[in-house]
Amino acid sequence: MAVFQFSNKLLAGFMAFAALGLLTGLYAGLAKLGFLGDINLNIPGGLHGPLMINAFLGTLISLERAAALEKRWTLTGPFLMAVSVVFMLFVDLQYGSWLFTIGSLFVTLTLLHICFIQPKIYHYIMAMGGASLFIGNLLFTMGAPVFEIVIWWMGFPVLTIFGERLELNRIMRPPKKAQWAFVGFIAVWILGTALLHFSRIHGWHLVMVSTLATAIWLIKYDIARKTIKSVQWTKYSAWCLLSGYGWLVLTGIFGLMYGLPTAGPFYDALLHMVFVGFVFSMIFAHASVIIPSLSGKIIPWSQYFYLPLILLHGSLVLRILGDFSGNYMLRSTGAWINVLAILLFLGGIFTQIVRNRRK
Amino acid sequence: MTEKRRRIARKLKEVIDPELGVNIVDLGLVYDILIEDGHVIIVYTTTTPGCPMRRYLQQQIDKALTGIEGIDSAESKLVMDPEWNVDMIVPDVEFFAVPPPQLNQ
Repeated sequence: MAVFQFSNKLLAGFMAFAALGLLTGLYAGLAKLGFLGDINLNIPGGLHGPLMINAFLGTLISLERAAALEKRWTLTGPFLMAVSVVFMLFVDLQYGSWLFTIGSLFVTLTLLHICFIQPKIYHYIMAMGGASLFIGNLLFTMGAPVFEIVIWWMGFPVLTIFGERLELNRIMRPPKKAQWAFVGFIAVWILGTALLHFSRIHGWHLVMVSTLATAIWLIKYDIARKTIKSVQWTKYSAWCLLSGYGWLVLTGIFGLMYGLPTAGPFYDALLHMVFVGFVFSMIFAHASVIIPSLSGKIIPWSQYFYLPLILLHGSLVLRILGDFSGNYMLRSTGAWINVLAILLFLGGIFTQIVRNRRK
Repeated sequence: MTEKRRRIARKLKEVIDPELGVNIVDLGLVYDILIEDGHVIIVYTTTTPGCPMRRYLQQQIDKALTGIEGIDSAESKLVMDPEWNVDMIVPDVEFFAVPPPQLNQ
């Protein structure tokens, strides 16, 4: 059978949709906080979650897998995710929801296909991440409020990253017992997420115990502890990884202390510790290897990239302090700088690619 | 190992896995170097079928194979069987001993 090769342009086209999802998702986030009222782009705050999880992360992560497998059908997932952005923004959220729900089903099938090629536990963990997205999306599309399903959504990036780290850290040769403990923590996460529908507090506690345990495991066994002594992107990536794990530890501690309300500042704080503190740190950590793989463009290193990373963490601290102290101004300032940090990172990537091209 | 295979292996050692900072030969990702007349086939694998680095590695392998003396044409073939595992890594290899590829651009 002839091999179908994805062109860099095709993948870059998909990435453009992921970028659109990210930018409009960030806009919706600010709109949710009551900003940008004078710029009427008609992107309601309610789209923040679906855009960030599906349009941005869903498209990007499924595209990575499709690019690895290079089979035409695996593009169905990212394609539906990308199309859902257009429907969410310009047609109707309900249509968009069905598209990303079906899209996430294909993402799960793609991940299961990897399990079929190599039935390894880390591949199953990543597939569970896909399934978690699908379940969250299906419940959301059928009318469940975000606060009820958000942990299913959270499971997508979190379990994907956990599976990837377990796979990569084979080179650290963690003891067998430690590897099985890791799998046990993941099982607790899934059990907790399902239990949330019946007993919110007990389900949440299980998810938080899992978060805390997995984060400590990663701090102990991740190669980042060694690569932090390296240079340039490698060192940077290690800082991103370890700081991301640090946010997970904090999430676990605060999550166990405060529980997960259905709305309000504590809810905001706990979710953003994971989505901004952990997930965006991971995105910053991997951009230098993912973007060349998808676009064929190398990103030359620059010290500049520490600026958005420091801003990201610093502003998240402000935001959390604002949330915990009930200081709305502090929380808003933190949220604005969160967005700024992400934009500065993207700007840096773009500038470095253009500069490299000119050379 | 023939001189030609050695030359090819040396060139392939220039291909670095950016996530691990080790060349693909020492990582044990290159399973075979087949030479028939002037045509070379590199049989290689990735650490996982879902490896996001796969396209990048393939591009780097194809690039490394151009301009080797005595080779008319070359292709790379990805296989997943046998499965790669950590025991295939050359003993005592130092991870991140080589600079990340961005430094060499």
